[in-house]
Amino acid sequence: MFKPFEKISRQSFFVMVLLQVVLTLTIWQFSAGGLIPTPARIAAALGHLLTTRLLADNILVSLLLTGQAMFWSILITLGFAYLSVIPFFSSIAQFIVKCRYLTLTGLIFIFTLLTRDGSQLKLSLLVSGIVPFFTTSFLAVILNIPRQEFELCQTLGYSRWQSLYEVIIVGKADQVFEILRQNFAISWMMITMVEGLSMSEGGIGTLLIKYNKYNDLANVIALQMVIFGIGLCFDYLLGTLRRWLFPYTR
Amino acid sequence: MTAYTKEEVLLQARDLCLSYGDTCILRNVNFTIRDIIRPGLQQGQVVSLIGRSGIGKTQLFRVLSGLQKPGSGSIGIRQRVETGGPGVAERSAVQPGAGVLCQEHPVRPGDMGVVFQNYYQFGWRTVQQSLLLAARQNKALACTEKEAIGHYAARFDLSGILHQYPQQLSGGQQQRVSIIQQLLKGSDFLLLDEPFSGLDVCVLDKVAELLVQVSLSDEFKTLIIVSHDIDTTVSISDTVFILGKEAGKPGSTITREIDLIGRGLAWQKDVRKEKAFSDTIEEIKTCL
Repeated sequence: MFKPFEKISRQSFFVMVLLQVVLTLTIWQFSAGGLIPTPARIAAALGHLLTTRLLADNILVSLLLTGQAMFWSILITLGFAYLSVIPFFSSIAQFIVKCRYLTLTGLIFIFTLLTRDGSQLKLSLLVSGIVPFFTTSFLAVILNIPRQEFELCQTLGYSRWQSLYEVIIVGKADQVFEILRQNFAISWMMITMVEGLSMSEGGIGTLLIKYNKYNDLANVIALQMVIFGIGLCFDYLLGTLRRWLFPYTR
Repeated sequence: MTAYTKEEVLLQARDLCLSYGDTCILRNVNFTIRDIIRPGLQQGQVVSLIGRSGIGKTQLFRVLSGLQKPGSGSIGIRQRVETGGPGVAERSAVQPGAGVLCQEHPVRPGDMGVVFQNYYQFGWRTVQQSLLLAARQNKALACTEKEAIGHYAARFDLSGILHQYPQQLSGGQQQRVSIIQQLLKGSDFLLLDEPFSGLDVCVLDKVAELLVQVSLSDEFKTLIIVSHDIDTTVSISDTVFILGKEAGKPGSTITREIDLIGRGLAWQKDVRKEKAFSDTIEEIKTCL
């Protein structure tokens, strides 16, 4: 268990993880004090949160916004990424990639002027935040396509448009799903930030800010655990969906 | 000796040169492949390009396939064009009765069937889907693509794996899928890069037999095998071109052409047992 590259059984792995979690919680329970809540207090807060409609309603609002943001981000990313093999659009795609280094904080006012309401503002901020990361990941996939995939198309007498369709659109559909899975984490992380900008519609981010304002750390950490859990569930769901839709994928 | 004649030119490489920067890879490569006619038989051509490792075989392979443009020189191939009426090449077995005319033009990507060394296939397509993609490129198979796939799959013992993905296949199965894919595309020329590398002795003979079958499937079917496995390649060829270097000159060129038909070494099942075959192998080795 302590040797490099040692292989352990699945059962041993789960027992090890369980022990590590129990050990961490025990140390936390006995070392916490003052403002930092103990695991028992967090568990009580989580139990209470789960029984209220407040949490379910706010989670639904956040999930809907994330879903919308993911949908538009994929649409925009795929459009520019597929077109990036055409020299005219290549520069635009490269510019989007570089936009990763733009911070959204300074642009919020401009986005406020450009959008109609709080809902649109949150959506546009999320999409603007996600698209550069999506595009970066997908362009890396396109750049790493082995030359032989295009050469096989050539030997089959395909036109350039047919090659684009076969190798990039059809051939990399599973990769799009993987990128979606990886980048879901970014949008889920950003949701709490953008929901703080327009709190009237609620959302898990709004709830988090409210608890934070009153220094209710037990509820803050309980909420963080809910966010973490939902993120893990979606990661698992998207991974399973990918394997089901694209059985050839590794 | 078997009666035969060599008639119209099917492929002609003229003064091919290829350089990378100041490094000359190929210099004045010239060779011609002619249609071999055997009375009462449908006989294709099997030509081997033999050379040492690093001599430029793969570069020549890429130039021949049209995937890479030569620095200078050209490759002309004779390709069949359907005319609708009786043509000059009616002995073709592909479409009996249809008018077929042969025209020469410079080689373009897609003109030749290419079987890469690692038998590359689209990983996201099942064998059936990959073969269907190729068959759809062949106008002669319009509306009969699935029947053609079924026919080839049965002939090449692949019927049971049509719904599998390339990564689920063995090396031998992948190779056969690659060959069928290019055959379904309908090109007269089939370029094979090192088709015998990495195969065990039993499979080696099966693959060699398979290539012979392919060459016999059509009068114009021309197999160009790029290999350094001299023994197996020569045993199924009718002509050998040796790619080598000439003293004091940069780049590789065709240094020797050996007509195996003239030596009585072509189209014989047990040719390896003959002394003339061993002598020819020795001769080739000394040329390398």
